[in-house]
Amino acid sequence: MSKVSARGLVKVYGQGDTLVRALDGVDVDLDGAHLTAVMGPSGSGKSTLMHCLAGLDRATAGTIVVDGTEIGRMSQRRLTALRRTRVGFVFQSYNLVPTLTAEENITLPLDIARATVDRAWFDEVVAAVGLENRLHHRPAELSGGQQQRVACARALVSRPSVVFADEPTGNLDSRSSAEVLGFLRRSVDELGQTVVMVTHDPRAASYAHRVLFLADGRIAGDLMDPTQQTVLDALGEMAS
Amino acid sequence: MIRVALRGVRAHLVRFVLSVLAVTLGVAFVVGSFAFRSVLSATFEDIIATTVVADTYVRGSEPLAQAPAAGGGSVTGFGDPREPVPLSVVDDVAAVDGVARASADASGPVVLVGADGTPVVTTGPPSTALPVYDDDPALTLSGGTWPRGPDEIVLEDSAAATAGLTVGDATQVVLGDAPQDVTVVGTFSIEASAAGAILVGIDEETALATFAPDGVVSTISVFAEDGVGEEELTARVAEVLPSGAEAVTGDEARAEASAGVEQILGFVETFLLVFAAISLVVSTFIIANTFSMSVRERMRELALLRALGASPQQVFRSILTQALVVGVLGAGVGIVAGAGLVRLIQVVLAAQGMEFGGTVRLGSDDITVAVAVGVGVSLAAAAVPARRAATIPPVQAMRDEVAPERQTRVLTVVGTLVLVVGAGLLALASALGRSVDGVGVSFLDDLDPRWLLGLGAAGVLLGALLVSPALARPVLTTLAWPLLPLRPLGRLARGNVTRNPRRTASTAGALMIGMALVSVTGVIAASTQASVRSIVENEVAADYVVDSATLTVPEDAVAAVENVAGVERTDPVRLGGVASDDGDVTLAGVEPGFFSTALDVVVDDGDPDGALDAGEAVVGRIAARERGWAVGDTLTLGREASTQVTVGAVVDSQIVTTDLVLPQSMVDDLLPPSQQTVRVVYVTAADGTDLATLRTDLQSAVEPFVVLTVLDSEELASSFADQVTQVLAILYALLALSIVIALLGIVNTLALSIIERTREIGLLRAVGLGRLQLAGVIAIEAVMISLYGTVLGVAVGIAIGAALPGVLADEGLSTLAIPWDQVLGVFGAAVVIGLIASVWPAIRAARLPVLDAVTVD
Repeated sequence: MSKVSARGLVKVYGQGDTLVRALDGVDVDLDGAHLTAVMGPSGSGKSTLMHCLAGLDRATAGTIVVDGTEIGRMSQRRLTALRRTRVGFVFQSYNLVPTLTAEENITLPLDIARATVDRAWFDEVVAAVGLENRLHHRPAELSGGQQQRVACARALVSRPSVVFADEPTGNLDSRSSAEVLGFLRRSVDELGQTVVMVTHDPRAASYAHRVLFLADGRIAGDLMDPTQQTVLDALGEMAS
Repeated sequence: MIRVALRGVRAHLVRFVLSVLAVTLGVAFVVGSFAFRSVLSATFEDIIATTVVADTYVRGSEPLAQAPAAGGGSVTGFGDPREPVPLSVVDDVAAVDGVARASADASGPVVLVGADGTPVVTTGPPSTALPVYDDDPALTLSGGTWPRGPDEIVLEDSAAATAGLTVGDATQVVLGDAPQDVTVVGTFSIEASAAGAILVGIDEETALATFAPDGVVSTISVFAEDGVGEEELTARVAEVLPSGAEAVTGDEARAEASAGVEQILGFVETFLLVFAAISLVVSTFIIANTFSMSVRERMRELALLRALGASPQQVFRSILTQALVVGVLGAGVGIVAGAGLVRLIQVVLAAQGMEFGGTVRLGSDDITVAVAVGVGVSLAAAAVPARRAATIPPVQAMRDEVAPERQTRVLTVVGTLVLVVGAGLLALASALGRSVDGVGVSFLDDLDPRWLLGLGAAGVLLGALLVSPALARPVLTTLAWPLLPLRPLGRLARGNVTRNPRRTASTAGALMIGMALVSVTGVIAASTQASVRSIVENEVAADYVVDSATLTVPEDAVAAVENVAGVERTDPVRLGGVASDDGDVTLAGVEPGFFSTALDVVVDDGDPDGALDAGEAVVGRIAARERGWAVGDTLTLGREASTQVTVGAVVDSQIVTTDLVLPQSMVDDLLPPSQQTVRVVYVTAADGTDLATLRTDLQSAVEPFVVLTVLDSEELASSFADQVTQVLAILYALLALSIVIALLGIVNTLALSIIERTREIGLLRAVGLGRLQLAGVIAIEAVMISLYGTVLGVAVGIAIGAALPGVLADEGLSTLAIPWDQVLGVFGAAVVIGLIASVWPAIRAARLPVLDAVTVD
């Protein structure tokens, strides 16, 4: 059964002359324990899709079910609770709290939810991202790759149903990108997580189990077990 | 560039609103002070113009030594008090050709009993009885008839309203000594408003009998016949006057009266302006903070301008232009608000029976000053941030990361030095004031402790402001410690307030100034009350004290008290003033034995009771120090140097504050009875008398005199302490404004830092922080900033306050008392201030749309 599914998703911005249909009837089912990449050119609606699926933004029409719960009718309060308990985020620009240490940043969602930290799981996640020696540093004292790994660990520590990653490697060099992507893939393969990642980098997409292509607010392609080459080919087909 | 600056203000209006508001409050206070003075001035000018109406006044040519604490005053009084003129002069003057009428101005204090049977009390303005004449041009009968005989009075309209009396009512007045039953036979109006004064008109004979019993009067009003000018009349009158009397024109008299009023109003204005200055200093912090944050936030925009070829001067000017706009707007609104404030005060006072007739008038000078102050404060506050913005290299500013905070080390070192020097000066001031012989180092002993105190206080305050950024992190970390279990709110809030110590410090600095002043005031209040209470309680040896609300105990009441059964001895204290070879001196006349039965004072030198027995003077410590008197010195008293007196003892008394205490017989030789007033009467019970019974008897004996109260030493101490409390209440009210401005500063800083942290807040919301939790974080931040300012302020205030008892020991501030309950209250207030300040920023933060906040660039 799929972790996240959407039916007839429409998102409209503006009105009249300035009306933009960012999403124009999208149907998707994202499987559990999969790393799914969402690709598409700028303006194709991939970020909007992710924001809607994650409950950060409201769709104009359509239904979204996350982990068996319909979120379209949820109040802001319940959406906040959903984000706190079922969803993890990784942003392009890391978005760590500069005044907290790496460890405090990682446990932040649990602190907010007043949940106790599962030390064994915490240690496992920290070991997986390789940050054992950096836990007491502040974000300013970490490299970009390290900061993004802290962000990944934060997204996983509360065992969310699904992790959404918005261009997680957008600000990183290739070596750091490989570390972060390798970790996201391992978290699926070894820890059983579900990860949805928006990217425009074919190499990043090649780490995924499945790639969804978006164009003009519609699903334009669906590729299983991609390689960098098959992704590039698919993109080439869409462009032609 | 100017266009960029103005667009900047318009685009970020909200950000500047609080700065404008800060300037507005400060300027409003300044303008309010000016306007209040002009209203008072206009009111008193009106009163003078309508009450000092005679064409010529005859008065004594020699100034009179100032008598202390004589109850009430005369509305028609002008200039300094002078030697009185004999009543016989009135007839001589009336006979002069061209004189329509000459009348003695026999007016003086009165107590009017209102319709409810209690004396009509005014808060400041006098209650005055004055003789009224049928043809008096200054007064118009508005109802009933003029008084005929001692049992009839007329009331000024507003006095009648205040007392609740109407024509035909029977009531009582205390005129001079005895209370008498009278009937209100009429009401009259004066052309000006009475400004809260109670005016009671009586017939001429009663007035002369009451206020000129020994045949002398302070002034004589002379009115000219038609066609005779003031100058001419005055010259003619002058010819018939005996030596010791002079004639002045009505214009001169009015000018003198105005000058006297203006001088007092000048003090009032200066006093208010000091507090206006404090608010403006506090405003400076807010404006500086706003601009430095706005500059930080716009660093990239400014760098872009630099990259496009704008010079540092242009950037500097563009920011100063914004400051100019803030200053002008603030001053403009402030002028209106200040005038409105005074109007409000007028309405409130009028509602309480103090009618001030003057309209709010603001001269172009006042407005110029107000605008200059508003703009000046604004420009000065923006100068430092503007300079920082102008000098930053464009490339550095273009980078994503905001430039790190500059080192605060130099400031910290300088601040520590200033702090230490300030504290040293305070300690020195305290040591100098406390010791009689000084500290033994001659050049230090020559310094005035008060100057040292002022310099030290300024040093400690300035030092604390400079050190504050360095102290912020450790102090705030400590303050936040109890909040840390509140995960993650406490930790987040602590992080936010310690992340930019300089900003936190300058936000808290505004509050610190206000809180320091509040603490000093509190320490003064508590210390004064503690000192006064202990001294007064210890000093009064008598069993009871008869005190008067009018500060004058009628002679008849003294006799009545003497006749109460069980009274062993009464000690009336009669006050007066007299000239001496060392300037005018105030004196108190008492019976020998006073210093064993009535008061038990601290004796510095000599034997006070022995001195009184021997016909010698007892002098107070302050007078002895100021005038250089010592035991054995001989003083010459009286206009004709008629009396020689030897100083027999030096004492330190909180209760008798006249320069000299003399045996009553000697005072009687120096002054006629009309120039002596009984201030209080000390009552000593005979052995074996039940004190409670005596008290009841005393109370019934003085009851007919309406204004008298019987106090024991503890109650007397309380009444002294209450006076202190009243004065301090006014200070607190004025200081509250600076605290309000500081509160605005916290709002400002939080609101701006939320704009700065938009993305971070978005993240927190994205990972599930609820709105209430977010509001909680911001509330904790506000409370911590507020507490930090208060901690520093209270520390500074107590440090300054601790030096006061030493310096002000002579003024009766001998015991240091720190009002710990009040300090706790101040901290409680700080929490409340923080919470109030956080409301708006918290709402703003909670309303940030999560998605926008996360994706903001």
